[in-house]
Amino acid sequence: MPFVRFVGFSVIRAWQGFWRNAMMSLAATATVVLMLVLLAGLFVVLSGMDSGLKFIESKVAVTARLRDNLSTTDRDALLAYARSLPGVRQVTYVSPEMAMERLRQAYADRGQKLETGGAKISLYASIEVALIGPSHAGSVSDALLDPAHRSQVAQITTKQSEYDKLVGIINVIRTVGIIALVLVGLTVLFMIVNTIRIAVYARAGEIEIMRLVGASDSFIRWPFILEGILCGLIGAIVAVVMLAIVWEPIQPILVSVFQMPTAVSRQFLATLSALLFAVGLGVGAIGSWISVRSNLAAVI
Amino acid sequence: MTTTLPRPTAAPATASTLAEPVISMVDVGVTYPNGKVALADVSVAIAPGEYVFLVGASGAGKTTFIRLLIRDQLPTSGRVVVAGKDLLKLRRGQVPKLRRRIGIVFQDFRLLPNKTAYENVAFALEVTGASSATVRRRVPQLLNLVGLHEHDHHLPTQLSGGEQQRVAIARALVHDPAILIADEPTGNLDPVTSWEIIQLLIQINELGTTVLMATHNQEIVNAMRRRVLALEHGTLVRDEAGAAYEREY
Ligand SMILES: Nc1ncnc2c1ncn2[C@@H]1O[C@H](COP(=O)(O)OP(=O)(O)OP(=O)(O)O)[C@@H](O)[C@H]1O
Ligand SMILES: [Mg+2]
Repeated sequence: MPFVRFVGFSVIRAWQGFWRNAMMSLAATATVVLMLVLLAGLFVVLSGMDSGLKFIESKVAVTARLRDNLSTTDRDALLAYARSLPGVRQVTYVSPEMAMERLRQAYADRGQKLETGGAKISLYASIEVALIGPSHAGSVSDALLDPAHRSQVAQITTKQSEYDKLVGIINVIRTVGIIALVLVGLTVLFMIVNTIRIAVYARAGEIEIMRLVGASDSFIRWPFILEGILCGLIGAIVAVVMLAIVWEPIQPILVSVFQMPTAVSRQFLATLSALLFAVGLGVGAIGSWISVRSNLAAVI
Repeated sequence: MTTTLPRPTAAPATASTLAEPVISMVDVGVTYPNGKVALADVSVAIAPGEYVFLVGASGAGKTTFIRLLIRDQLPTSGRVVVAGKDLLKLRRGQVPKLRRRIGIVFQDFRLLPNKTAYENVAFALEVTGASSATVRRRVPQLLNLVGLHEHDHHLPTQLSGGEQQRVAIARALVHDPAILIADEPTGNLDPVTSWEIIQLLIQINELGTTVLMATHNQEIVNAMRRRVLALEHGTLVRDEAGAAYEREY
């Protein structure tokens, strides 16, 4: 019971304190919202890009277009050669018929029908070399294009450069995002430290009385810490509500642009919301803790 | 327990020799960080139930003496024991408990301006974890005791100085303290109101609470004839029962 009363007392005092200097508290809360929105944005974009990266990674294969009319023996020799290269996971021969079938399927997937206009189109035969990792694309391409195989391989395509570009973009976004996040985070801390400082000074008279009548340290301290946590909590609630509102329109973009199947799951949204709450509450607690530590001593 | 001071003509402070003192100081010295010696070699013992005046010119060290008792500060030397606790050995976490054994009032009342009389008293209970049932039972009792039950919904600005001091006294009594300390409680009050406050303090003392009152009010000290502790430049120059404000010999 005494503990319940302590919690009740602290929560009520924190709530009163929050509204006592509403301008300041709301400003601090607004910075929390700003930070969390930024964090959510960064989290979503980075998750999206990461899964895009994984998608491309799985697709970083070397495709060698074969010259026409290659004999079966030559083709098999080439396949064996490709299989022997380091970094190669699997080698598949794709005949012109199979290529045609894939194209048809790709159209069908988009709900269209492949129209050839009556003309008979024929596709190239190729071999697809799946790699154990994107870093092998260069050496495998070079090996397939060496003079000994020039007469068999017409052209090499790989998604290596796309992959490298995406890795570069992700790194830039991550770096810029984290720097922005840290700067905004410091602003949030500053705001909360100040809000609680003002709260402490506003209650200086009460704190003096509390000490004289024998209130324990926790009764004096915790209302202020909870007041800071309240800024974080309200900020997190606002941010999560905003996220829930924009989620519907965003989700399909994540799925199609970033090839991010996890975006469909409730799990992703739940994880993100939990992250926002944890960071909001954490920054509120840390800010008020710092403030109470440095300002309470000055008052009492 | 005897003091190291020469005992003058007046009756000795017999009460202090009978029971375990509720306040005792042994060779206490306080030097402030700026070098100011506020108390030097003060030794005194106060028994439960005594009513003691602490007198001395401004700057003599009365408030410092009081701050030691509530462990608002520690002595630079010597030993202070209050309500059975050696304050130098008292752990930080135990200080609130000590302060619940001591009620304190000041010249300037120190009421919270945005709270009513009732709320000011209730606050002292709430911040020490009292249940709302306790608050509802105790606050009216205390306001009754100090004769203020009709003013419970008034803010401090709507109360006279004497009424404000009564609220402060009610607040000081919320935990049924063993000791009530008053630092110049009548300093801001007119003579008639001062006497009313003194009457209240006597009544509380008669209910068993030890009262220590720092004052400049000669008239009251002379009329009351209680034990007097006189400080001069931080030294206890007189500890005399049934005494007057000034030395009479
Ligand atoms: N925090 C402090 N730092 C330095 N000196 C102090 C401090 N507090 C009090 N003093 C000095 O210690 C001496 C005793 O002060 P104290 O407040 O105990 O006197 P007092 O008897 O209560 O005076 P008054 O009757 O005016 O209230 C004074 O000279 C005062 O200036
Ligand atoms: Mg004083």
